[in-house]
Parts: sequence; structure tokens; C-alpha cells
Amino acid sequence: MTSPALSNELSRADQWFGFRLTVPAAVILIVLLALPTGLTILYSLHDVPANGASLGPFVGFENFSIVLSSPVFWRSATVTLLFSIGFVTLSTAIGLAMAILLNQKFIGRGLARALLIIPWATPWLVIGILWKWFADGSVGGLNAVLIALGITSDYHDFLADPNTALPVTILAAVWRQASFAGILLLAGLQTLPDELGEAAALDGAGVWQRFLHITLPWLRPALATVAVLNVIYAFLQFDVIFAMTQGGPGDATQVLSLLIYRQLFAVTQIGLGSALAVILGLVALVGGLITVKLLYRGHVQ
Amino acid sequence: MMKTRKADGSLQGRMDRRTFLKASGATALAAMTPGLMAGGAEAAAYTGTLDMLAWDFQPDTIKKLVAEWTAQGNPAVNVAVIPNLGYSSALQTRLRGGDKIDLYYNFAYNSQKFIDQGWASKLNGLPGVNDMLGEMFESARGRHVNAAGDVISVPYFSAVHMLHYNKDMLAKGNIAAVPSTLKEIYDASKALKEGGIVASPYVAYWVKEFCEEYLHTYLLNEGITAFDESGKPVFADDPKTVGVFEWWQAMYQEGLAPKSVLNDDPGKLSSEMAQGNAAFFVLHHYFLTSIRSLKGPQSDNVFQSAIGGKNFTLQIGEVLQMGAAADADRKAATWDLMKYYGWKDKAGKFTVFNQWAKAAGLAAPYPGFFTDPDVIAAFPTYYDLPLISKTFETGSKVVPARTLPWYPDFQAKVGDIIHPLLLGQATPQKTVQDLTDAAAAASGGTKRL
Repeated sequence: MTSPALSNELSRADQWFGFRLTVPAAVILIVLLALPTGLTILYSLHDVPANGASLGPFVGFENFSIVLSSPVFWRSATVTLLFSIGFVTLSTAIGLAMAILLNQKFIGRGLARALLIIPWATPWLVIGILWKWFADGSVGGLNAVLIALGITSDYHDFLADPNTALPVTILAAVWRQASFAGILLLAGLQTLPDELGEAAALDGAGVWQRFLHITLPWLRPALATVAVLNVIYAFLQFDVIFAMTQGGPGDATQVLSLLIYRQLFAVTQIGLGSALAVILGLVALVGGLITVKLLYRGHVQ
Repeated sequence: MMKTRKADGSLQGRMDRRTFLKASGATALAAMTPGLMAGGAEAAAYTGTLDMLAWDFQPDTIKKLVAEWTAQGNPAVNVAVIPNLGYSSALQTRLRGGDKIDLYYNFAYNSQKFIDQGWASKLNGLPGVNDMLGEMFESARGRHVNAAGDVISVPYFSAVHMLHYNKDMLAKGNIAAVPSTLKEIYDASKALKEGGIVASPYVAYWVKEFCEEYLHTYLLNEGITAFDESGKPVFADDPKTVGVFEWWQAMYQEGLAPKSVLNDDPGKLSSEMAQGNAAFFVLHHYFLTSIRSLKGPQSDNVFQSAIGGKNFTLQIGEVLQMGAAADADRKAATWDLMKYYGWKDKAGKFTVFNQWAKAAGLAAPYPGFFTDPDVIAAFPTYYDLPLISKTFETGSKVVPARTLPWYPDFQAKVGDIIHPLLLGQATPQKTVQDLTDAAAAASGGTKRL
């Protein structure tokens, strides 16, 4: 045990060193995160001219009022929510399944683990372009796969159909994100002592019981991290959808990030776009917090 | 500098070509001298480096062309190239961030907005500017000269919407004349579909971002004026307008256009024509190059025809704009480069345009371009150059409202309104109303999503 006096003395001695260590990261965070966030909030309260030469007149919450009273916003928010639910659920579940599979001993496991990294190493935009071709109604491989599996009998233009465009964009994004989830969860699984599972098996626990009562609780911290990151990625998703559908057909895949992009950079209504960005940022933050709460609810060490 | 002015003193925006030539008078002759053409003395006064921003269509060619200009004793040019997709957003972000760019490619619909925001300079009074405009097709001038008479841009390239059709399929379908009007296109498409010649005869680039061009193309085809001279939306006043949207919806809903057109890019559409999966393709004239060069089984059967019958088609063109540099010598050098890149070189030849014609069949909005022997040689023989020239001259309009400062706002919303029409989620009547509302909101400065 260290005495309180010594602890304080060490703490004081390390304070300056610790401060110096954190300064570079703090500066980067302030410049790249805090300042843009602050400016976005400031812009959202002003009627900013397109050239950005000044803040423009202060308009209070007028921009928020316009956004929240617009059916375009609510439709886009619904699409964002649907996308997020599909994205978070599927990428977490598939990532978990892949992690469990790759934690087993089998021939070629090393290669399989290396392959898991490929989707994650591919940029979002490239994923979008690849999946646009894959889902194409006349030359895409997705139709060929579905026909080969007997799921459909004819070619279907998934991205031109408002009923299927969103699910296909979700699948494309999940394809990448599940590998990320898989990598993190596999790392978590590798810290799970074999003895726990063996002892439970000796006590008569089945595979499902061992998964439910040993594996899952053990993975809870990793799952929380994965789920929170997935929620944030879901709400901020832009590249894949932009490359695949540009928000179409109609507004079937117009998530909030696309609406923000258009408002800020195409129409250059900076104030309105910033208000949208503030709202989306808050939604992502709240979504992340709720996810953490849910995952840790009733958690017993 | 000679200018033709209206009673209020402003430069006449849409004067005819004859007036321009008369007004240019002596300067038109002087324009033929090296001093007023690209590479002239004004560039020599500036010894620094110019900055140019372009999108990524043949970046090596851009750099080569600019290097040739520099080699003529002109300043060096830093050419930066960024993707066409998202170019407008990236450019605006750079300029808003204080980036000083001397010369940049721009979409015509941004041009007046950029002037108003102080990101681009007016070109009024620059040496040879009136001569350049005087040599331009009258139909094209409204894109480069605003209603107040200010010269806001020079051409980068220009094109007209044309009908690409498969001659062989038309013969098989016993269609004697190439369809021209919307109704004829509908009838011919239906005949080809019902005759089992091709399942989805008509393709077009109906992605959200591009619906706005088709809106104008189809309205012009029916002789409908979309916006009056002040930029006020008037298409709703024309009883034929609803019919245009009924036609558009029917083409999609009846399967005369494939379901995928809401998402297909022009490369795929060209391929559909080359492979014989479509009989008609309406888009810029230069897509004939894409279709032919794909060398598909039907590529050689694809030809080009005018659309709109006795009415018009849409003439488009992207532009070059001068940045807001304050230094006079620097501006003079930039203007010199602009003339070279958007008009003629020192020897009075369409060197840059000729290169784009060779590369992709792009055109310049000058009658002289179409009669230049080098240009004629640059175009593949399958192009009907006199037809394209005639379409520029008398068969097309630029819709001057497309350069107004509020227009990008409207442009961004057209796809949101047209797609529901095509998907059967909105009636033609509601579409007309929604477009009118969107135009009124944009032009009135109303903030809305």
C-alpha cells in the first residue's frame, strides 16, 4: 500500500509531466473538434451569408424552427432512424457471429482473420461504389446470387426501388462495419479464459447457456464500445449512401447527413445547415448515451 | 471599350450577333491581332504564378494545354484538379475559406451567385471580351452575360441535348421517321416495346441531381417558357406543362424507361445503347462518342437527331470564371489565359476546344468552331456537325434564369420533386405546384429545406 502523503507527492510531481503529455492531444481536439462544434452552434443561430464573410444577423432559434417544422426534415429523420436501427443491429450481430467463429480453432483461421480486416480497410466511398455495381439491376452480382439461391426468379433494380434501396444501402454499410465490430469483439473474446467455459461445461451448461451467461457478459465492455461506435457511425453515415443513391430514389435514402451536405455545400444556407448539424449531433450523442445505458443496465460483476 | 447599352446604361444582355459585330467595329478587326488574343502583351506584365482549379476530366490534357500557354512566354500556372462529383461544394468551401483561385471551372448555374458572393470577377471591359461575345452563338450569350449586361463567365465547353437513336431498331419497328416530339418519342417507344424489339426503349440520366436539365429539355421541347426574363417561374401558366409531366410519368410507369434510370450513370446508359438494350437516349450530344467508342454490338447503329420538333432543346455549357484577385496585372494575365482556354489561341485557332472535341466530342458555342477545318477533322465522321451547329444556332435555348444567384437552391430541389412523380407518388398537377413553390421560395430568398 502507498501512503496518502506519498501518493499526493507523486501525483504533484507527475502533474506537470502529465499536463505536457496531454497538451498535443488537447490542442488537436480543440482545433479539430471543439472549435468547429462551437462555430457550428454559432452559425446555427445566425443567418450566415454564403461567402462566410461574416456571421450575419443573429436570428435566435429561427433556423431550428424552420428545420423542425419541415416535413423534409422529419422524413429524413425517419430514414436516418431506420438506417441506424438496421445498421447498428446487423453490424453488431454479424460482427459478434464472426468473432465467435474466428475464435474457434480450425484450419485456415489465420487467413480468415486476415480477410476480416479487408472490408474495414476499404474506404466508405469505395464500398459505396462497389455495392452500387454489385446491386445493379442488369449487371450486378447480387441478383445472380439471389437467383442462384432461389430467393428471386428475376432481376430486380434494388437501388431504383424506394422499398429496397434503403435495405441495400444498409447491407453495404454493414458489410464494412461488421468487420470492424468483429475485430474488436474477437480481441475481447481472446481475453476470455478457457477455464470458465470448461468449468461451466463440466457443470452441464450447454453451448447456448455458456454463450448467454459467460461469453456475453464477458464481452459487455467490448460490446458497449462497438455499439456506441456503431450508433455514431450510423447517424453520421454519408459516403456509402451518397455513392450508391445520392439520397434517391425520391427521398428513400435521404439521411440527415445528406440533407446537411446539400444545405451547407450545395445550397449554401449555412445557418440552416448548421442547425441541422447541431440536431444530428445531439441525436447521435443521445443515441450513444442510451446505448451505453441499455448495455450496462442491470449489469452485475 | 465599345459596349452596347440599354437606356438605363447597362450593357445589353441578349443583343443579337449582328449588333455585337457592329458594335465591336474596329475592335473586331483588332481582335485578330496578337495583342488582343491569348498570349498577348498583358500577360507579360505579371511575372508570378497563376492558380487554376478544374474538375477531373482529362487532367493531363488540362495541364498540357495550360503548359502550352505558359510556353508562349506567359506566367506559370498551378493547376489543381478535384473530382467532378462534389466539385461545386468543394469549390465553394475553398472560396469561403479564403482560397484565392485566379481561374476556375464552374457550373453555369453557380456563375451569378459567385459574382454576388464576391468569389468571381465581372469581365466587363476586358480587352476582346465583346469580340468574344460577338463571335458567340446568340443563343449561348445569355449564359455568359446577365440581364444587367455584365459579362460573368466565358465558355469551358458547351453541348446541346440530342436524341441518340438506334436506326436498326427503328427499321425493325417500322418507324419511318426519327421521333422528335415528346408524343412521337412515347409512341415510338411503345411500339418498340410492344413489338418485342427492346424491353425498355428509352433511357435518360434521371438521377436526382440531373432531373433539372431534363425539366428544361422537356419543357423546351413543348415550346414552354419556364422562367420569364426577370427569372419569375411561369411554366405553370402554360396549359401544356401538365402534359409534359404526364408524359414523363408515363414513360417511367409504363416501363418505357427501365426502373434503374433513377440511379444509372451516363456510362451505363451509353452501354445500354451500345449493347442494344435501349433504342433512345436523350443527353448531351457528345455522348455519341461514348456509345460509339464502347464498340458494342449496336454501337454503329446509333445516330443522333434533334429533339423538340419546331420548338427547342436545352443548350448547356459549363463555364470558366475569374477569381476575385485585386492585382490588375494578375487579372490581366488571368484574362489572357481565359481567352486562350475559352475562346481562341494567339493565332486565332480553337486550340483548346479542338482538343476537347478530339477527346470527347465537346463543342464550343461559336459558329466559327463548327467551320474550322481542324475542328471538323477532330470530330469523328459519325457526327453530323452541321446539325449540331444548327441546333446551337436556332434549335436550342440556355434558359438564362439558370445563372441567377438563387437558382442553385431551386436546382437542388428539382430531383426531390421529380422522383416522386416518376415513382407514382405525386400527380403531374402536384408536381407543377411543387416546382412552382420551390422556384418561388428560392427566388424569394425563403429559407426552407
